[in-house]
Amino acid sequence: MRRVKEARRMRAFMIYALAALWLALSGCKQQAVETVPSVPQNTIGAEGTALEPPPSARPIVLGFSQLGSESAWRLANTNSIQEAAAEAGVVLMYENAEQSQSKQFDAIRSFIRQKVDVIAIAPVVQTGWEPILKEAKEAGIPVIICDRSIEVEDSSLYVTLIGSDFYEEGRKAGKYLLDRTRDSVGPIGIAELKGTEGSTPSIERGQGFRETIAGRGDFKFVASEFADFTFDGGKKTMRKFLSEKGDEINVLYAHNDDMALGAIEAIEEYGLKPGKDIVIISVDGTRRALEQLAQGKISLVVECNPLLGPDLMQAATEIIQGRTLTKRIVPTESVFTEQMAKREALHRKY
Amino acid sequence: MQIHRHHLFWPLAMLAALLLFNLIYSPDFYSVQVRGGHLYGTLIDILNFGSPLILVAIGMTLVIATGGIDLSVGSVVAISGAVACLTISRGSDQGSIGLILAAIGLSLALAVVLGLWNGMLVSTIGMQPIVATLILMVAGRGIAQLITSGQIITVTSEPYAYLGSGSLLGLPFSIFVVAALFAAAGLLTRRTALGLFIESVGRNPGASRLAGIRSRYVLIAVYLFCGLCAAIAGLILSSNVSSADGNNAGLWYELDAILAVVIGGTSLTGGRFYLTGTLIGALTIQTLTTTIYMIGVPPEITLVVKAFVVLVVCLVQSETFRKSLAHRWKTRRYPAEREVAKHA
Amino acid sequence: MLKQKYLPIAVTVFLFVVMFLAGSFRYTGFFSLQVLLNLLIDNAFLLIVAVGMTFVIVTGGIDLSVGSVIALTTMISASLVQEQGWPPAVVIPLVLALGALFGWGMGAVIHYFKIQPFIVTLAGMFLARGLCYVISINTITIDDAFYQRMAQTKIHLPGGSFISISVVIAIVVAAAGIYIAHYTRLGRNIYALGGSEQSALLMGLPVASTKIAVYTISGFCSALAGVVFTFYMLSGYGLHAMGLELDAIASVVIGGTLLTGGVGYVFGTLFGVMIQGVIQTIISFEGTLSSWWTKIVIGLLLFLFILFQRVLSARQAAQKA
Repeated sequence: MRRVKEARRMRAFMIYALAALWLALSGCKQQAVETVPSVPQNTIGAEGTALEPPPSARPIVLGFSQLGSESAWRLANTNSIQEAAAEAGVVLMYENAEQSQSKQFDAIRSFIRQKVDVIAIAPVVQTGWEPILKEAKEAGIPVIICDRSIEVEDSSLYVTLIGSDFYEEGRKAGKYLLDRTRDSVGPIGIAELKGTEGSTPSIERGQGFRETIAGRGDFKFVASEFADFTFDGGKKTMRKFLSEKGDEINVLYAHNDDMALGAIEAIEEYGLKPGKDIVIISVDGTRRALEQLAQGKISLVVECNPLLGPDLMQAATEIIQGRTLTKRIVPTESVFTEQMAKREALHRKY
Repeated sequence: MQIHRHHLFWPLAMLAALLLFNLIYSPDFYSVQVRGGHLYGTLIDILNFGSPLILVAIGMTLVIATGGIDLSVGSVVAISGAVACLTISRGSDQGSIGLILAAIGLSLALAVVLGLWNGMLVSTIGMQPIVATLILMVAGRGIAQLITSGQIITVTSEPYAYLGSGSLLGLPFSIFVVAALFAAAGLLTRRTALGLFIESVGRNPGASRLAGIRSRYVLIAVYLFCGLCAAIAGLILSSNVSSADGNNAGLWYELDAILAVVIGGTSLTGGRFYLTGTLIGALTIQTLTTTIYMIGVPPEITLVVKAFVVLVVCLVQSETFRKSLAHRWKTRRYPAEREVAKHA
Repeated sequence: MLKQKYLPIAVTVFLFVVMFLAGSFRYTGFFSLQVLLNLLIDNAFLLIVAVGMTFVIVTGGIDLSVGSVIALTTMISASLVQEQGWPPAVVIPLVLALGALFGWGMGAVIHYFKIQPFIVTLAGMFLARGLCYVISINTITIDDAFYQRMAQTKIHLPGGSFISISVVIAIVVAAAGIYIAHYTRLGRNIYALGGSEQSALLMGLPVASTKIAVYTISGFCSALAGVVFTFYMLSGYGLHAMGLELDAIASVVIGGTLLTGGVGYVFGTLFGVMIQGVIQTIISFEGTLSSWWTKIVIGLLLFLFILFQRVLSARQAAQKA
């Protein structure tokens, strides 16, 4: 009998406690983050007509959802954005999603709740973004896409895409190969180390390259596989290529530096000389690759510029000021040859 | 004793089945060439790339034998590589032996501390091993990233690279490290009473305590050893690429290690453990990964194949399964007998 | 007034309140009903999975396949709805049945072949993820009207705050879990099985069907969580919910359930999930915490929790002795 009474008392107590808590919490209305006094949002993107005079000097709050930290390139990208934000006086809310799209959704939702001024996303995959972009649109927050592109039917869901032109990188690689093999005779076997299957950079670098060299009949792709943009993947896949088609490979086109560096080790273990027996073309432009370039082991490095920070800050500032932006912003990029490599490798921070 | 009752029979059978499969489908699996005084070939690769896994699995075997589990090995792998590379990169001469030894020493010392931490949580505080090591798994990944400041630290050091990619007597150096550790573990557990203590604590902690075994020290010792093994594996891994990646090194390693131990015949509930079995289990996993790679199976199917293999291995190892199969086979012509046995 | 056996849950609730208040003092805008409800909105699927996981862990087992089953559910739903054009009314019950079937299969293998739950559910995890990739390597976005409506509907509560439909589903599941655990025969059998399988067998309890039932429940909960996840992400993808199983196990353990089985409350799991949510919220309000400090802080908090629980239950055991 006592037990029943006890149980009843417990239940009553809990109900009262819950009710009290509810009243207390409802009483406190949610306030937005204090650093951002509400400013009427200007219309986004295309029209760019300012409804209000541009805000006087108060810091812009930018929420950036980075996709992860899988490579040196990515880390350089993150650092650049953080440094540029500090220089531009932009308050940066940074979230690293560690390769998970659902963590990016969480990050963006928390930015929306905290009512940031601009949201920037480096999307880990190409598809599946419509719902969250619609939420941001309904909240009136403009979105900038960084580095990789997304597939959306309604392109008004984001303001601009800041990132490298991967096709152009592929084309530069192809052009170099055409120049280099201008006078050569006989069939030329090309091995290709592709990046992560389904990723934008991999698809577009491959296509740009192929389109450029399409005219020549003596080029032949003897091996082409995905190696995930990693050192390990590059080494293992190259080893496989060599054991299957060793003598036929004259050129190696690696979609990023890490894979090329792994391939170099595999080539040297096989007994061949990278650079002399096999011409290597790589994309990215990290310091280690430039060092190898200076030693002649890599023949060409196409730059893929991770330093998107300044461009991003400028775009965010211009959006808040109500200016129109082009739908695509491409950072300046070049190629590196052996002569330039020695100089550049010293400067390279990443 | 009939040969198929030996505890190593089934693990060896699985490995043999895999190797046979390779013999039929990709004959150059077995080609071993000599280039520049070193041996090259897929078999050598399996031993070389599998050495970090074997190391971690050896440590994991002892932990599982005490009825526990260590989920933090992946993070310890990352931390040890990070500490070593950080030390080397701060030194003035990256090639000096003294610096390398200091780096290795520091990294192993930190691993000892982490292993002690795990051991203390499990034995003194009495936390459940899965939770206690989960804490270090999460926090340890953060510590590794803290040490590297989120960057990938690269070093250029010949002596350091020797650990992971150097050669001794034509074979990769890492194989010798594994052999040495395996021998040490075997000697420690089978030639001293430590092995018996471990098995006893795993099988029946209460009875062990009553028998006078200091289970607290045994537990601390096994977690310490596991941490040490993970650290050595981390050093080999990071020296292989001459860099340390706090974010990605050792990710999900613990699962493969646990699988290796289970394939080798050690039970997850604790008790009898088989170091040789673990060795075979780790080789099986590495061979499976390499086989899938070599026959060019699309990566989508890799996981499904792995699931299948794991399931088959465990079914085969399950006494109940074998008995029920044997019974069905024996009574295939006598359905009445089967009916009788069911209700016996 | 507080019975000894409720002490672990009381500790968990107390710690949750402490953390919430600490956050409220530190950050403006934290102390509001909406923030509290956001915890539920963001973690509805984790709660559903954790409820299923509680049952499994109370019997002394473990289920590592939950994250992968969620991913598989999203993938199957997306591919059937988007590519085959099936109506959601057919797809959703189908995936729930498939999830339950998957759990049933694992439970059967675990019981009849006496293989460790860790390994069988690990194999299940690989199998489910692998099947995701077989269906499609890339994301499949869902633009079906029903799913979109479910994702975007806000249920407004008195006081100006709102919750999503997923929260309602999660709370119903939690309530059902509590009911099954404490007011049905199945629940009593589950606790008995967890206490000691041998004793349960000798007592004549249906061990086989109970054991298989808990894994079926867990599979069903994973599938339901997958449906809720599909509302959250509106896409099917093989990499969804990576590592979610560890979060679920952590929630269950923080909630006071012992991994050895026999002890635990679904109510505690609810608070375990809320605590995980509050930790994440504090970190995101902090804003400048780099991702590694985040991990270290989470590890530290986990450690303090379990330590506290351990100390208190040790004291409780000592008092009894």
